[in-house]
Amino acid sequence: MTQFRPGRDVYVVGVGLHAFGRFPDQSLSDLARDAVVDALQDSGIPWTAIPVAYFGHVYYQGMSVGETTLAQLGLTGVPIINVENACSSGSTAFWQAYWGVTSGVFDVALAFGAEKVPGGPVTVTAEDSPARYIGGDHMMAGYALRMKRYMEETGATAAALAQVTVKARQNAAMNPYAHRKDTYSVEDVLNSRLIADPLTLYQCCPTSEGGAAAVLCAGDTLDAYGVDRSRAIRIAAAALTSGNYNGRGSDHSAFSPYRTEPAALQAYEMAGIGPEDVDLVQVHDAATIGELQQIEALHLFPYGEAWRATAEGRTALTGDVPVNTDGGLLAMGHPFGATGIRMVHETVTQLRGEAGPRQVENPRVGVAQCSGAGDVTTVHILTR
Amino acid sequence: MPVSVDEKCLRLTGDDGTSGTLLGMRCTECGIVVFGPATFCQSCSSPALEEIELATGGVLYSYTIVRVPPPGWPGPVPYVLGEVELPEGPHVLAEVIECTHDALQVGMPMTLALQPVSMPDVPGSERVVYKWRPAM
Ligand SMILES: [Zn+2]
Repeated sequence: MTQFRPGRDVYVVGVGLHAFGRFPDQSLSDLARDAVVDALQDSGIPWTAIPVAYFGHVYYQGMSVGETTLAQLGLTGVPIINVENACSSGSTAFWQAYWGVTSGVFDVALAFGAEKVPGGPVTVTAEDSPARYIGGDHMMAGYALRMKRYMEETGATAAALAQVTVKARQNAAMNPYAHRKDTYSVEDVLNSRLIADPLTLYQCCPTSEGGAAAVLCAGDTLDAYGVDRSRAIRIAAAALTSGNYNGRGSDHSAFSPYRTEPAALQAYEMAGIGPEDVDLVQVHDAATIGELQQIEALHLFPYGEAWRATAEGRTALTGDVPVNTDGGLLAMGHPFGATGIRMVHETVTQLRGEAGPRQVENPRVGVAQCSGAGDVTTVHILTR
Repeated sequence: MPVSVDEKCLRLTGDDGTSGTLLGMRCTECGIVVFGPATFCQSCSSPALEEIELATGGVLYSYTIVRVPPPGWPGPVPYVLGEVELPEGPHVLAEVIECTHDALQVGMPMTLALQPVSMPDVPGSERVVYKWRPAM
């Protein structure tokens, strides 16, 4: 089933973030530019040496925002590609950058993303869609349907689901870039107002603004670009999938998380490792149920057991499989274009041992997984 | 004449907007059924599809009570959104009507119900929409 032919080893050699939150005085380009400057500085590679850039974003804020953003750093004439792939737009830009370098086309690539997501429920269809009459186009209602079904099938408790948020906030409290840094108890989470039963407000990720960037470099050109090898993190796998037919047609919110499985299996195969080798994970926790189902789809826990593992603290920073160590979408918020690269930023920071108070003990393998409408899934595996 | 919310998913069979049938496509090669239109089979990519009328009921696979509606929602708040599994396989999301919140249960039998819906202050926007209600 292998349909990929990676070529050269590729490393992440620089990562950068603009803080996540609300920034009414800053434009989309401002957020993106700050993240790019941060990543370039981290890599030591100047903008004038970057031969290609991929920019993830979703909401329309004018054409060619990637170009107008990078024009602020100097008009170097390089190809700049604007990428829209729903909630996985940022991780798709990263995936493209990886394949651009491993294939030998480029020695270096920049992947960056930014978003200013408006407040309120997120929908995926056009305004004149029949979905507006039917009432089913509602991201958090979709998660609520999955949550209800999961609780019925597995016996998962409301408290275990709430623990996902409690953990996310504890991690975010140690992360200066997080949108939400105040911590909550299980009771606080369960007593927040209902959005779509059984999902309460604090179990839904905030809509948010932010930017993220990563610089990639081929292994055989690290020295030529003057990269510090001790801080370079290898990309062991880069998988991107769309929907695989799962026996039940396309309109099944409750089944969506298991569409992560094909991307996960591809990534494990490409990296030559299994789920038992994974030391830390960033997954798409747009809602609490999302985290549980994604870590099951990544085969880190058997089906129906992630809720118990969470309640037992196994996914906490000190657990055997730390999940969403920077606070995840639940605390960082979810600027679509930036989220996937933010996950890479956290994974790289942890693997470098530079995560400060939220540092996981001596990790060697990190996974970053992102999901989006259209059943887009990315799974990246990074290794030290 | 009443107008279906989506003629490729719901065919009205009377002229009063109260009767109709959900439409699907069945692959004559591999047998799988999808809800709504398709050009090629989702499973085997065969072009040999035939339109079929789907069952008028199924079982409630999951549900939620939506307290914060999506933008432009023309109905009551809160409303119940149900995911119903049809005997042919597809799941169909729609509002659940005529059911108290306490009576909702995963696995309960549901039946198709049609209702006219208009967008507030939009002349000519009335459409007949498919919904679910508990089967008697
Ligand atoms: Zn077929």
